[in-house]
Amino acid sequence: MENILEKIAYCVEFGKINKVSPYPPDMKGQDGADELTKLALEQGIPPVEILNKGFVLGMDRIGKKFSENKVFVPQMLMSAKAMSTGMQHLKPFFTSGEVVRKGKFIIGTVAGDLHDIGKNLVAMMVEGSGWEVIDLGVDVKSEKFIEHILSTKASAVALSALLTTTMVNMEKIVKDIRDQAPDVKICVGGAPVNLDFCLKIGADHYSPDPQGVVEYLNKLVA
Amino acid sequence: MKQWKDALIQGKKRVAMPIMTHPGIELTGKRVIDAVKNGELHYLAIKALADSFPTAASTIIMDLTVEAEAFGCKIIFGEHEVPAVSDRLVSDFDSVANLKIPNIQSGRVSEYLKASRLAAENIHDRPVLGGCIGPFSLAGRLFDMTEIMTAAFIEPETITLLLEKCTQFLISYAIEMKKTGINGIIMAEPAAGLLDESMCDQFSSVYVKRVVEAVQDDQFLFILHNCGNTGHLTQSMINTGAFGLHFGNKIDIIQVLKEVPPEILVMGNLDPVSVFKMATTKEMNLLTNQLLAATEEYPNFVLSSGCDTPPGVPVDNIIVFFETIEKFNKNKLLKNSLTY
Ligand code: B12
Repeated sequence: MENILEKIAYCVEFGKINKVSPYPPDMKGQDGADELTKLALEQGIPPVEILNKGFVLGMDRIGKKFSENKVFVPQMLMSAKAMSTGMQHLKPFFTSGEVVRKGKFIIGTVAGDLHDIGKNLVAMMVEGSGWEVIDLGVDVKSEKFIEHILSTKASAVALSALLTTTMVNMEKIVKDIRDQAPDVKICVGGAPVNLDFCLKIGADHYSPDPQGVVEYLNKLVA
Repeated sequence: MKQWKDALIQGKKRVAMPIMTHPGIELTGKRVIDAVKNGELHYLAIKALADSFPTAASTIIMDLTVEAEAFGCKIIFGEHEVPAVSDRLVSDFDSVANLKIPNIQSGRVSEYLKASRLAAENIHDRPVLGGCIGPFSLAGRLFDMTEIMTAAFIEPETITLLLEKCTQFLISYAIEMKKTGINGIIMAEPAAGLLDESMCDQFSSVYVKRVVEAVQDDQFLFILHNCGNTGHLTQSMINTGAFGLHFGNKIDIIQVLKEVPPEILVMGNLDPVSVFKMATTKEMNLLTNQLLAATEEYPNFVLSSGCDTPPGVPVDNIIVFFETIEKFNKNKLLKNSLTY
């Protein structure tokens, strides 16, 4: 059992989606996260084990390499794709309640900003760490964040901004969210954002990379 | 243009060429939406800037939607914002195979060509540089920027075909721009900055090189801009054969200057937003001076913004930027004459 979970973690770390995927070249023709997850379920391994010892572990390893600049955006996205392909097989257990996720997490790129690659990476890493992710896309205004926070009862929300000009929109969004949903934790990030700015606008968390958000969220539910 | 480039390198003076058109639009009292849709208003903005500031060359708007629109993407226009692509156009091999390479007059391409022609005809005291998007960034706009990153691994034949179509279009566009009488082009390839070196070679630089080879000669300068490069892609940029390389603010420009052969122009890299747009005039002066001092010993360096300067840059900052350079040049001249 350890062996197949380790294989799943390996596929996630190296972005092996399924058997037909030609990537990575040295795993050509081998089973990927897709087949192995299915097999693990057939072998009776509890879905929650697959999630934690397969997906979470694999995403954690690639996340660290990314933080250390050892891999680039495409490799990281391949891992996320492998993870989400495997995750499809676990979806029924989420809906049935057999596997309880850590909480709900909302994310969006703030109003005026259309950069979404970093936001997507954060979303995928957080999903890979066992949270349910609601991705609101790009150019998201206060009202949309608030509407979804209230309707989903999410415990955390993340705002991403890549432009120094849209970063300032975060201040208003944070204030608007605080007014309507005082309990939700607010994370901010994106290239121009830093800890000073985060504290200044009254957000709860900043980190330079997705790994930091995952660690913060995990502490929330610990 | 080879002469212009060589004269810059041999000259004693430091010159600057920010990628800058929005302040020109503002000088003419127009909105972004007017200039990006109308070649004549666009030209008037370029002319107003040339009349106001001693830029080493005039540049046209870095509008990364013109080519995608020509292919059929829907574009969102804001009155005072740079246009944006709203949705992906292709998603798999079949849709890419069915994608037609657009005619060179499609969408707003003809307006951009008109702006280039008018600028070439009416601005005589400095070179005029046209502009276009790079092949990988264009492909990313058509296929979705996040999706193309993984599709390059999973379905390389789809992405290769898409890049081929983008490159063919960009070659025709570059040739057409050259015919308007302008002196060169700046190609913006930001998305390639997210790739590792071998992917950048494979999915961007080889295609860029084809466009370079189609137009660059002694009379026509090709400048490649990649603001995503954090230092890992400088060699890949050099491999394209472009005579000018333009860098973003994320890079260590001194390291770049050490790596790039001395006959190639290196341009960059003050942050267009946090410096040009948001800094005080005092900070603008300080940061410009720092960059001037740090790059002093490299004759092939041209001061510039790290990317397109956005709408809303205070004119005072631009004035201070050029004044700082002028002062630096005067001091240098004085120092040199004293040592003789
Ligand atoms: C790719 C890119 C584009 C693509 C975007 C495609 C897309 N779908 O996202 C295109 C070509 C469309 C584009 C357009 C523009 N861009 Co742009 N773009 C870039 C580029 C090259 C890379 C950005 C990126 O994706 N990085 C990779 C990701 C993974 O990094 P990231 O987003 O920072 O995310 C990481 C962290 O910040 C963090 N993170 C992100 N979000 C969050 C959220 C939370 C809560 C947390 C904790 C962490 C976190 O995690 C991520 C992983 O580590 C940068 C230059 C650069 N090197 O950064 C310029 C850059 C961001 N762009 C810039 C500009 C100016 C523009 C334009 C205005 C250009 C123009 N004239 O049209 C337009 C603006 C469009 C708009 N309204 O948004 C400037 C911004 C300057 C500034 N300081 O404001 C930059 C810095 C380029 C430069 N050097 O000047 N761009």
